[in-house]
Amino acid sequence: MKSLRGVAASPGASVAPAWVYNQASFDLPTGTVDDREAEVERLREAIESVAQTLEEQASKTSGELAEVLEAQAMMARDPELATTAEGAIKSDGTNAARAIIDAGEGYAEALVASESEYMAARAGDIRDVCSRIARRCFGAPETDIRAMDDPAIVVATELPPADVASLDKELVMGIATQEGSRSSHTAIVARSLGIPAVVAVSGLIDAIADDSVIALDGDEGTVYVDPDDDTIEGTEKKTAARTEHRSQLLERVREGQSTTSDGRVIEMAANVGSVAELRGALEAGAEGVGLLRTELLYIDRPEPPDEDEQVALLEEMTGLLGDRRLVVRTFDFGADKPVPFLDMEAGPNPALGVRGIRLAREQPELLETQLRSITRAAQNGKLAVMAPMVASVAEVEWFVQQVGRAGGIDANVEVGAMIEVPSAVLVAELLAERLDFLSIGTNDLTQYLHAADRQQGTLSYLQDPFSPALLRAVEQVCVRARDKAWVGVCGEAAGDPAWALVAVGLGVTELSMGADALLEVRVAVGEHSFEECRSLADEVLAAGEAEEARHIAEALVS
Amino acid sequence: MPEKEVKLTNEVGLHARPAAVFSKAAAGFSADVTVAKGGQEANAKSIMAVLKLDVKKGDAVTIATEGDGAEDALEELVTLLESL
Repeated sequence: MKSLRGVAASPGASVAPAWVYNQASFDLPTGTVDDREAEVERLREAIESVAQTLEEQASKTSGELAEVLEAQAMMARDPELATTAEGAIKSDGTNAARAIIDAGEGYAEALVASESEYMAARAGDIRDVCSRIARRCFGAPETDIRAMDDPAIVVATELPPADVASLDKELVMGIATQEGSRSSHTAIVARSLGIPAVVAVSGLIDAIADDSVIALDGDEGTVYVDPDDDTIEGTEKKTAARTEHRSQLLERVREGQSTTSDGRVIEMAANVGSVAELRGALEAGAEGVGLLRTELLYIDRPEPPDEDEQVALLEEMTGLLGDRRLVVRTFDFGADKPVPFLDMEAGPNPALGVRGIRLAREQPELLETQLRSITRAAQNGKLAVMAPMVASVAEVEWFVQQVGRAGGIDANVEVGAMIEVPSAVLVAELLAERLDFLSIGTNDLTQYLHAADRQQGTLSYLQDPFSPALLRAVEQVCVRARDKAWVGVCGEAAGDPAWALVAVGLGVTELSMGADALLEVRVAVGEHSFEECRSLADEVLAAGEAEEARHIAEALVS
Repeated sequence: MPEKEVKLTNEVGLHARPAAVFSKAAAGFSADVTVAKGGQEANAKSIMAVLKLDVKKGDAVTIATEGDGAEDALEELVTLLESL
């Protein structure tokens, strides 16, 4: 048995035979051909078939994955690529498979040499496209995911987007990759499908033989190759326990609205950035969306999406949500998250510069379009909208006015603000008087309260959500907003059951989190009364250190 | 052969989506279209050749067209590049 460590990318455990995905695993024919015309024809058919498959996959997916697939389809249809490959066939009698691989390699090598990480990734896309065409040319067995027939754990250096797009969760019991990160396509799709995954496992490919069996633990980030009986038993127990635990949890929360044990309604919502994420969240029992990050709609595009495109996306989401609420955060750009179509001055300190609502006030057209699309979507759904980076009453008044002008107030769109700047905490009652709700963004609020950059690893001790300053800020917001506006939390802290109990005790009535945390938090809240949460909050507020506060809260959960 | 120089002002140059958008548009014309940067020339209808040019923000490229509707193609592609 070999034990390898990687990065836990999608939770869950499983034991199954390895199914090794290896793009280079087929033997490229070396011979030349006699009938060169027929070989060119064969290449053209293979190109057409691969391009069509990629286009179909692109139309069935969304977001960045769809864009990569579309670009790959264009690569397959690239006129220069075909000319180069056909030239080799016509002049040297090179077989079609060899010709396309060589032609693609010419481009791939040039891109790898580029300093940009993005370009290097495109080199991988080109190689993947060419090897698909090559396989189709000589009828080699398809080594992509769709050729799997029996349940297995997929092992790969890294999965190409086209395979990620066709993962079948009935067959794929787990995924282990040698490269990648928690934010690679593989990891994101695995999480949304509930397939356990471990990525960035060094030495993985060398450790695996064709007949290897794998035990994979996506919670701890371990991969056991040819596990002994104890490890198999341990992993199977873990899988069974997890399935059992989840079904119990689901059973307990399915009975309707999330409440504390004494009936105080706490809405358990999800933070999402795409339709796929929303589907996953609803399966996990989300009672709404507490934070729709709309930036993803804009990033990496030459021009912003028009009103119709935004309405279509929102309506797709409200269609899935039914009468559950969708809280849209208006776009949150700044010099740290630039987009091609907005003029942004970097300024001496981007985190403290023109971003969020500050940018919207300088260049309001984008916001106007977004607000109109929200108004339109509100005809068939329960919409709410909130502004990011609010620091003053004037900004809130301006924002409310903008929503009104776009018809949002008349369309019953709830209006709110993110509370992530300390000044907003201090004037929370003035904001609450003008708004329907306040949503606390714990990550940024913690950063700004402590004046400590959250990207800087050595300052992570100032980024603890149990910090006495943050807990007091949440308390302040709840006290000041009482009877004026409802208060939610949409930062990562909301997904920590212990922290969530404290927030409920402080007066928060909506918690919005990553889908994978929903069940645990719903159960933790459902097991405790509001009174218990309140006395927990009192106790935790008395603690002088984050560590101490955490211990007190965690003791109540377990 | 009509040609025109354009300076790329958008953040990602001719890399990600802009490269795909530009190549697709070029492929829609029957005229031949080339894009050149620093003496290197590429077929604009080939996304791979365009990527290989590695055009970054602030780079100037020269678009040249030849054949049927060359003038119109040039004008439209230059407008597209400027709006990227």
